[in-house]
Amino acid sequence: MGEVIVITSGKGGVGKTTTTANLGTGFALYKQKRVVMLDADIGLRNLDVVMGLENRIVYDLVDAANGICRTKQALIKDKRFENLYLLPAAQTKDKTAVSPEQMKKICEELKEDFDYVLIDCPAGIEQGFKNAIAGADRAIIVTTPEVSAVRDADRIVGLLEAAGFEEPKLIINRLRPDMIKRGDMMDVDDMIDVLAIDLLGVVPEDEKIVISTNKGEPAVADETSKAGQAYRNIVRRLEGEDVPLITEEKTEAGFLEKLRQFFGLKAHTK
Amino acid sequence: MKNKVIKALLFGGICVKNDPVVIKGTKEGISIILDDSLEFDDLQKALYEKLKNSRNFFSGGNVRIQAKNRNLSNEEYEKLQKLFTDFGMNLQEASSPKTMIFPKPNKSRVLLLKKTIRSGQKIAYNGSVVILGDANPGSEIIAAGDILVMGTLRGMAHAGADGDSSAVVTAFRLKPTQLRIAGVIARPPEEREDGPLFPEIARLKNNVIVIEPL
Repeated sequence: MGEVIVITSGKGGVGKTTTTANLGTGFALYKQKRVVMLDADIGLRNLDVVMGLENRIVYDLVDAANGICRTKQALIKDKRFENLYLLPAAQTKDKTAVSPEQMKKICEELKEDFDYVLIDCPAGIEQGFKNAIAGADRAIIVTTPEVSAVRDADRIVGLLEAAGFEEPKLIINRLRPDMIKRGDMMDVDDMIDVLAIDLLGVVPEDEKIVISTNKGEPAVADETSKAGQAYRNIVRRLEGEDVPLITEEKTEAGFLEKLRQFFGLKAHTK
Repeated sequence: MKNKVIKALLFGGICVKNDPVVIKGTKEGISIILDDSLEFDDLQKALYEKLKNSRNFFSGGNVRIQAKNRNLSNEEYEKLQKLFTDFGMNLQEASSPKTMIFPKPNKSRVLLLKKTIRSGQKIAYNGSVVILGDANPGSEIIAAGDILVMGTLRGMAHAGADGDSSAVVTAFRLKPTQLRIAGVIARPPEEREDGPLFPEIARLKNNVIVIEPL
């Protein structure tokens, strides 16, 4: 019996789809888990594009929910990674085409067969959000270091708590250590202080994400990508391993700081 | 001391005056006095807001209207009658009311919440509110009595919401987006500062919200 994890944020554009694609690929590639990624963003589907599977879609989530096909028929097998599947959203319908009960049923069905069911939640707190969380066991909240994104994440934590989710976990995406050092960006502690939930990982801003997204190849498989490294660590943490966080000093330590660390002096980051 | 005075000035309050709708308790029930300088539509809106904000507090009560110098048409009277019925009140024929003072909100009633109040969440209570946790930006706490946050207050807090000007707002870290006590509204100074790292108390002094170390 697998686990259903919803990846949500409230605000759009913070990296829910990228996170879903990378975690899904990470579980399948590094942990040999059977994974299905479910795109719940009906009407604005993206996950298929990010995975490079757009041209293989025959049936979608709405078809499966309404019994037009069997759930398994709607699953698309990934072109590179064994054990990785996608259940795409419909593009020509809207969020009301599926009900929370139907989502619950599909999640139950997929859980039987897979180790992880990752749900890519649409932005917002309306029907699409309610559908996406209906069948989930756990929730991961993605935010970026911006006050607006953190505010929306806080709203989502409140809604998830009201819906009975215990301890949602946080991923901070697109962090720029250089900007934090200059005091131009919220730092990790500030965000944790407000949201008061456990941190699952910090993903640094990385050009390679844009490149890999456009190519349809998740960065997690790229050994040279910093963001990919962060996603690999998050996968290991979700699997219960104790992996230390990539901190600002470690990712961006200059020569002087390395020297200070070498001599056991604490680097000043603030 | 000097610091305190400066802060009080920065928090310079906006006083809510000339309420178009005044609700008073009388021996015969509730008496509502309507301002005669306002258009009927605005008046109706103000009355609706007021009744909505007091929730079901007046539900089941008998109500009389005092319109001062206004002549209500039959149509207007019926509109008001419907409004009162919607809020569960009975509109009665007007008579000269004998004003009496409302009982003060029962401040000994306390709501204790052991959680973080998050953006979009609203706590409204006819008594005092104690939060064991933070109140985040975008949250609202509205209490008839005092508000105490055993954590960081970053959202909006309204103490003495029924008009009790002796109500106070206290927090371990007082960094609200807006503070309200009774009818006075204040916001923190524009220039961003982290604020002191000790508990503070906000109260009304001469109709201005003043913040002091606790």
